[in-house]
Amino acid sequence: MVTYIVRRLVTAALILLGASFLVYLLTASSGDPLADLRASNAPNKQQLMNARTELLDLDTPAPIRYFKWLAGAAQCLVPFAGTCDLGKSVSGQPITEALGIALVQTLTLVTGATILAILIGISLGIVTALRQYSALDYGVTFMAFLFFSLPIFWVAVLLKEYGAIGFNDFLRNPEIPLPTALGVGAVAGLLVAVAVGGELRRRLITGGAVFAAVTLILIYFSATQWFKTPGLGPVVIAVAGAGIAVAVTVLVAGLRNRRALQSSLIVVALGVIAYFAVQPLLDQATALMIALLGLATVLVGVAVGYFMGGYDRGQSMRVAGITAFLVGGLVVMDRFMQAWPSYFSNSRVRGRPIATIGAGTPNIEGDFWVLGTDTFTHLILPTIALILVSLASYTRFTRSSMLEIMNMDYIRTARAKGLSERSVIMGHAFRNALIPIATIVAFDIGALIGGAVITESVFSVRGMGFLFLDGITHIDPNPVMGVFVCVAVTAMVFNLIADLAYSALDPRVRIKA
Amino acid sequence: MRFGRISQAVGVAAAAALALSACAGTSGGSTSSTAAAGGQQGGSVAVAETNGFSSFNPGTADGNSDVNGHIGYATHSSFIYIDDKLNIVRNEKFGKYEKVSDNPLTVKYTVNEGVKWSDGTQVSAADLLLSWASGSGYYDDADAEAKTGTTYFKTAADTSGLNLTDFPELGSDGRSLTLKYSKPYADWELAYSFPGNGGVDIPAHVVAKQAGLKDTQALVDLLKGLKRGDSKAPKPEDASLKAVADFWSTGFESKTLPSDPSLYLSNGPYIIKSVVPEQSVTLVRNKDYNWGPSPKLDEIVVRTIGAAPAQVQALKNGEVDIINPQASADTVEQLKALTGVNLLLGNQLSYDHLDLNFSGPLAEKNVREAFLKTVPRKDIVDKIIKKIDPQAKPLDSQIFVPAQAAYADSAAKNGSSMYQDVDVDGAKKLLNGATPEIRIMYNKDNPNRVDAYSLIRESATKAGFKIVDGGLGKADWSSSLGDGSYDATIFGWINSGVGVSGTPQIFKTGGGSNYNGFSDADADKAMDELIVTTDKAKQDELQTKIDATIWKSAYGVPLFQSPDVKASSDQISGVTAMPNQTGVWWNVWDWSRK
Amino acid sequence: MSQPTQEEEILAQQAVRGPGDAPPEHESSGLSQGQIVRKRFFGHTGALIGLAVFALIFILAFTSVGVAGIPGWWKYNHLDVSPLVGDGAPTAGLVPPAWGEHPFGQDRIGRDLFAMTMRGAQQSITIMILIGAIAGILGAVIGGLAGYFRGWVEAVLMRITDVIIIIPVLLLAAVVAQIAGRRDEGSMFAAFANANGILVLGVFLGLVSWVGLARLVRGEFLTLREREFVDAARISGASNARIIFKHILPNAVGVLIVNVTLTMSAAILLETALSYLGVGVKSPDTSLGLLISQNQEAFATRPWLFWFPGLFIVLICLSINFIGDGLRDAFDPRQKKFNAKKASDANAPAVEKSAATAFDGTKGD
Repeated sequence: MVTYIVRRLVTAALILLGASFLVYLLTASSGDPLADLRASNAPNKQQLMNARTELLDLDTPAPIRYFKWLAGAAQCLVPFAGTCDLGKSVSGQPITEALGIALVQTLTLVTGATILAILIGISLGIVTALRQYSALDYGVTFMAFLFFSLPIFWVAVLLKEYGAIGFNDFLRNPEIPLPTALGVGAVAGLLVAVAVGGELRRRLITGGAVFAAVTLILIYFSATQWFKTPGLGPVVIAVAGAGIAVAVTVLVAGLRNRRALQSSLIVVALGVIAYFAVQPLLDQATALMIALLGLATVLVGVAVGYFMGGYDRGQSMRVAGITAFLVGGLVVMDRFMQAWPSYFSNSRVRGRPIATIGAGTPNIEGDFWVLGTDTFTHLILPTIALILVSLASYTRFTRSSMLEIMNMDYIRTARAKGLSERSVIMGHAFRNALIPIATIVAFDIGALIGGAVITESVFSVRGMGFLFLDGITHIDPNPVMGVFVCVAVTAMVFNLIADLAYSALDPRVRIKA
Repeated sequence: MRFGRISQAVGVAAAAALALSACAGTSGGSTSSTAAAGGQQGGSVAVAETNGFSSFNPGTADGNSDVNGHIGYATHSSFIYIDDKLNIVRNEKFGKYEKVSDNPLTVKYTVNEGVKWSDGTQVSAADLLLSWASGSGYYDDADAEAKTGTTYFKTAADTSGLNLTDFPELGSDGRSLTLKYSKPYADWELAYSFPGNGGVDIPAHVVAKQAGLKDTQALVDLLKGLKRGDSKAPKPEDASLKAVADFWSTGFESKTLPSDPSLYLSNGPYIIKSVVPEQSVTLVRNKDYNWGPSPKLDEIVVRTIGAAPAQVQALKNGEVDIINPQASADTVEQLKALTGVNLLLGNQLSYDHLDLNFSGPLAEKNVREAFLKTVPRKDIVDKIIKKIDPQAKPLDSQIFVPAQAAYADSAAKNGSSMYQDVDVDGAKKLLNGATPEIRIMYNKDNPNRVDAYSLIRESATKAGFKIVDGGLGKADWSSSLGDGSYDATIFGWINSGVGVSGTPQIFKTGGGSNYNGFSDADADKAMDELIVTTDKAKQDELQTKIDATIWKSAYGVPLFQSPDVKASSDQISGVTAMPNQTGVWWNVWDWSRK
Repeated sequence: MSQPTQEEEILAQQAVRGPGDAPPEHESSGLSQGQIVRKRFFGHTGALIGLAVFALIFILAFTSVGVAGIPGWWKYNHLDVSPLVGDGAPTAGLVPPAWGEHPFGQDRIGRDLFAMTMRGAQQSITIMILIGAIAGILGAVIGGLAGYFRGWVEAVLMRITDVIIIIPVLLLAAVVAQIAGRRDEGSMFAAFANANGILVLGVFLGLVSWVGLARLVRGEFLTLREREFVDAARISGASNARIIFKHILPNAVGVLIVNVTLTMSAAILLETALSYLGVGVKSPDTSLGLLISQNQEAFATRPWLFWFPGLFIVLICLSINFIGDGLRDAFDPRQKKFNAKKASDANAPAVEKSAATAFDGTKGD
């Protein structure tokens, strides 16, 4: 095992050296860094050209410059020495500093989107696999391919136009005209009717119910100006909590496990009580406090499960813990919604909450909830854009992986044993389908660090992608190398981790030492 | 000569003002009124900038970007500023400067008492001296060819003006300084602070401390003690001066707000309050500031937005109040369609032109003339510029832009009238059946040039020219200028608006930017005379003559002046268009929220 | 965004079809592998529609404005400037049905957008096919050699693959764009690149896109070379070349084809992204990606400049994806049910056996 890891690391280092040399040469040879000055008619043109030649050390041939760079970069390997030197950019900024800033920007932008895309993609993939060649499957496949085929800057421009500017205009007077409410309801009902499957009667009933519910909710929202003063309130939390409790029980334990269902319902009840109890506490919330409360919530849930026991105590604990976490999420969401009016009327926000650029309103002041809402309103559009475009690969991949597994002999065996469909899917198929997904996620983390070049540029986020692109446009190898090294190292490390995890998860794979 | 050159400069500027206001007056109703009417005191405004803020010293070669210059302008003040009519406006509240003598040209600068850096230190002669040292290249003895000597201050400024001065004489009050020029220098009023830069930017007491000197006086003594550098006889570099110059060049570079507030001292209407790297810079009003026009806004937020569509959408969504996107017809139309937005249309000082090589298939004047006759200048302007600025006309002078007083006269006399309309028959006659193959080089990444090329190609083909597409990518086109690999080229120059040193740079035999091999004895003689002439009228006369000579030799044709688009929310008043790189920021103190 | 996605797809395939796969089961006796695949593919509605749409676009693009100097039936080409008709708005109309002078409209200087879009589609399809072909061949050869011979061959080839896989595509594209935009009189290559920018770009992108395929093919070869039929061939004295091309490659060809189509659909988006970033095809030549990125500002004011090329990108990309999807289903021997309707009519027993349907519990589907 250790030999294997050491060998992998040595190989990785050699690959990195070779690739970085190539990248440096490619960048240096990709153009003329003095181009803009050459075409200038400024009287001090020569002086400026000399200054840049000196800054970028252009008199030294690129291969030698690479080794100079390498000498500085090698110092980064010395831990805590602070001697890390990745050179300076064409505007004189040290690359280490630029990378620090860019990394934060990129991670803020893409982390949420990637996690959500993975979750949604895997769920959709499983559902479409289980209902292969149904209307739902075709619909999801079509939409996934469609979004995959759309250029992202195009998606982004449309999102800004309608998701930000249009929605903000709507918020000025959040009234939904009756025809719109009916229309939205009808579309939702139709979609559900097509997606739900089954007999015509079942489809009609479900579709009709969804139509009525959506329309009524929209009318209610319009009448109460809900979008100006949103909130869930204890009633909605209780009802939604009960729904969550049932759903979690179905997925994790099966409804036949009454103890599990009971413990999750108890947790929901506790959650509604806690809703009133924690409100004053939440007013002084900090990120740490929320994290601690979240932990406490899960622990309470697990404890409830433990005391309810049942024939499978572990299952009850799991169900109750997950339910507690989700209900806690509802309470937090409700608190964010309570902060909405104060965010909305904040002088910095000027009544136009959804933003088209940047990662936060400059100079905004407020409590945890207002600041959290601010981050949310800035990240929502780029996140949606990234999710739409990257959803396809996860969905399609999970679908094919799941289909493959569902045809395996051991699934047939599991069925033959008389296991319930739930435990066949959740216990046998799903877990095994997840194994290869680990490889993809590992691969994605490298790409994630590299930033989403186009998304960044459309939403004016200056992250890793921007740094990289800027380096290429200015024929400036140092930023390019900085980004490249970050991406390559992360990708390699995570690939190694994925391979190790793979062998741990899948007994058929053995590492050759 | 009592009024001397000031009156001339003002005269030029006034004429320019007339020309510009004529433009502005006809640009349609969307232009906002310039008066800061209805503005209140206080409030906050957000401005979009294309690039991220990177340096508190916009005067360095590295830090010389638009956004650094704009923020530098708002946080510093000087003896003068330039208004939107390209007038030089004196700021007597900051200090006075007067011409003591004409021969040799001697100017005395005095800073008023009470003009302070934001740490309370008086702005002194030492600050002026440091500014002079960095902007004059006085100590530099570097020889780029021989790789010897040292360039101390890495300035972005053109040092040729201040380099004519001797070491300044410092006044006994500690607030005044006198510059003596060895030769007359036409742009002496601008010499001290190059445009786009706030002027007295860098506090000497901070640089002295950071460079390891005892105090400000030590810095003054150091500068006084050193001799003018000579690139012919380079000396070993002076360690103390190098430390000072290095700190000046790089010490103020930062994308974040430094923990040491002395690195971002202000002596202007605004002070930098916070910086979010690559996102925003927040400026707040300098409470002490009373040495210049009084600002109305309490706060200005500068936000970094690169792409033009993103700027427009941010304006539409109310996230920013003032934008300056890249000019394109679609952007203009989009902005026109928005309610609550004032559109400010103007011209930049840059212009695109077609140059013909005086060699190869175009060596013969007849062929050049025939080719120029086919250039659809009106069509190019109609299709590329008119959508942005409906008043646009082809540029009719190789030397002047319409904002300059001499333009109209020169354009009428220089022979540009010959090339107003496409004359395919005339061209065919001149060609006399020949079908020369012309390779046109241009920047393929600039849509305006690509479109101009397409239109020229279409038209010239009709007269029998065989046009070869010689366009190159953005990284290559400029380095192939003048290498003879093409016969004609489309690219842009930037007219300085003021000053004459640009003319010989482009048109003189062997000039630094003379890429097409133009050489004319008469023009050379006129240009030799031009650069030693300080009389503005005489300068204009000579330039008009040169302009006509250039046109007569079928040198090429100017195509159009680049349009400039800015827009502001109608919640903001006091924002006006401005052609030079200071842009809307020139009157930052007039901005106010309605 | 497109590049990692493609890699993922390939990785995904590789991961799923890892060692230990069950041998393919032939459900229909008497049919060759090719026949089964064909039958399944033509039973896949999505793939058929995709194929038809793609064929239409292909024919339209290559006949309308002509190719390689041969004139097409459309009266303009992408470089011709003609007077603006109706401010450049599209002249095509549905009521009454009309084609008009400039069906898709004109750009600001009067070039015909239909001609430009067709030229763009040609370019995009060319790039796509080039990348697919080069990446497919290189990936198959290199992956096959590495997987079959193992040992130092594998070590060297796979390390090269590792190096190339971590070099950012954007950088390579920038360098290629730079070379393609350069014109040195002396260099034949540069002269060719200047005239045929799209070919060079396609070849270069193909030269870097094979790495994912190579890894995948190697994985496939690693499994196949241990199988009985390969042993049998070896014992009966077949040469390495014969084993590779006659015995192993035909068994790996499904995986290869499926992933080549995925690479191809990603290639179109890659070209779009590169053009947006200014390192793709250069004006006045054009590509679909260049057209929409040049005209993104026109999206609110002259939407046709933005929508028509965009529509073609989406159509080409969608059709290729569906063809790929159909191929995947056709080549995957374990997926017995290949068309819901036919399955429920003709292959009723198969439906009963299918695990997926059992869970569905939906009988009328």
